[in-house]
Amino acid sequence: MKRLPLAALMAAFFVFLFWFVAVRQAALLLVGIGMGAALAGMRFGFTTGWRQLVEARDPRGAIGQLLLLGAAATLCMPLLAGFPELQAALGPPSVSLLLGAFVFGLTMQIADGCGSGTLYKAGLGVPLNMGILPLFALGSFAGSAHLQHWLALGQVEPVGLVGHWGAGPALAVTWALLLATGVTVRLFAGWQRDWLDRRWVQGALALAVLAALNLVIAGQPWGVVYGFGLWGAKLAQAVGAFDPATNPFWSQPGNTQRLAQTLLLDVTSITNIGILCGALWVAAGQAPDNSKPLTGRQWAVGLVAGFVMGYSARLAFGCNVGAMLSGISTGSLHGWIWLPMAFAGTLVGLRVRRRFGF
Amino acid sequence: MAATFTPARLRRVVFWALLFAFVAWDLQRSPAIDRWREPPLIAAGSGQVSAGGHCSMAK
Repeated sequence: MKRLPLAALMAAFFVFLFWFVAVRQAALLLVGIGMGAALAGMRFGFTTGWRQLVEARDPRGAIGQLLLLGAAATLCMPLLAGFPELQAALGPPSVSLLLGAFVFGLTMQIADGCGSGTLYKAGLGVPLNMGILPLFALGSFAGSAHLQHWLALGQVEPVGLVGHWGAGPALAVTWALLLATGVTVRLFAGWQRDWLDRRWVQGALALAVLAALNLVIAGQPWGVVYGFGLWGAKLAQAVGAFDPATNPFWSQPGNTQRLAQTLLLDVTSITNIGILCGALWVAAGQAPDNSKPLTGRQWAVGLVAGFVMGYSARLAFGCNVGAMLSGISTGSLHGWIWLPMAFAGTLVGLRVRRRFGF
Repeated sequence: MAATFTPARLRRVVFWALLFAFVAWDLQRSPAIDRWREPPLIAAGSGQVSAGGHCSMAK
């Protein structure tokens, strides 16, 4: 489809949300479309950036991601301190987080996309990611339904740096940690390598602004996985495979309410749909994907990885977006635990990826 | 000239048709939206704490 009729369809959806659902949801659709356009247009892939760093010692993607984290933290932390209505992405440091982040980092390399990556690549029309999306949703749902068992292995209360220290010190500590990570990346890649790339920098700045807008409008940071889990829970409930009243996670009042009402009122669902739309709009102006078709074995491995990725994202209290970007940029300790664990998982995932010839 | 209907295009059409059908099915089975209880357009400064779902939530 050409871009003009596509833009008309998106405008019609915006008007529908504005008129029949909620003005906030219409605004969040626009934010999501911007995110999708930035992710797909700049090819801002968290998975690819890590892979390029490890396999080619190319630091540009990793540095772009650190820039995104720093810019988003600079925007979000003062907002959190100034507006008590806004919520940080506070996940509990736990055994569940350690295991979930490791497995997520592993499977995202096999599935060739994290939460946002799966969305924007599905929007671009990449076959594997389109196939993974529903399995990712079912995995997210299964992870949320089993979450209490994983939390029973051990957890402490979430730690929010902004709440503990205030915005200034929290931002200073965050920048110091990001700087240390950047120096480590440069040492690993070698000082002679190019470390900045216009595409990654532009993507980082655009996504940081959009993440802050998400926080200001929705009152909560950008997330991906919760919406997928909600979609999976709705399907499981509809076919009679799941009773939310008997589940500790889905019987919580807020989750019960979101399960009962239309997904168009859910913040994460609407930005997820926006990301798909934004990526589709980018794809409309590009040549079709001519990548080599996958074998049956690669398809099977990729789809299983997509399900496990969704499951582990719930155990890890988010993916690259919900845990890493939103966690770190809003001062959650769990984001800083998620990052090294997921990177360790990626080191294993890259070997598995090569083993199956991806 | 008519556009060719390639397998890639077919996959994309099926994907979006399924997504549209899912959203329409969900909208149809959900209670009517009460516009009088609409959340604030901008949460910051509204005085209402966000009550949305997020993946960092443990419950």
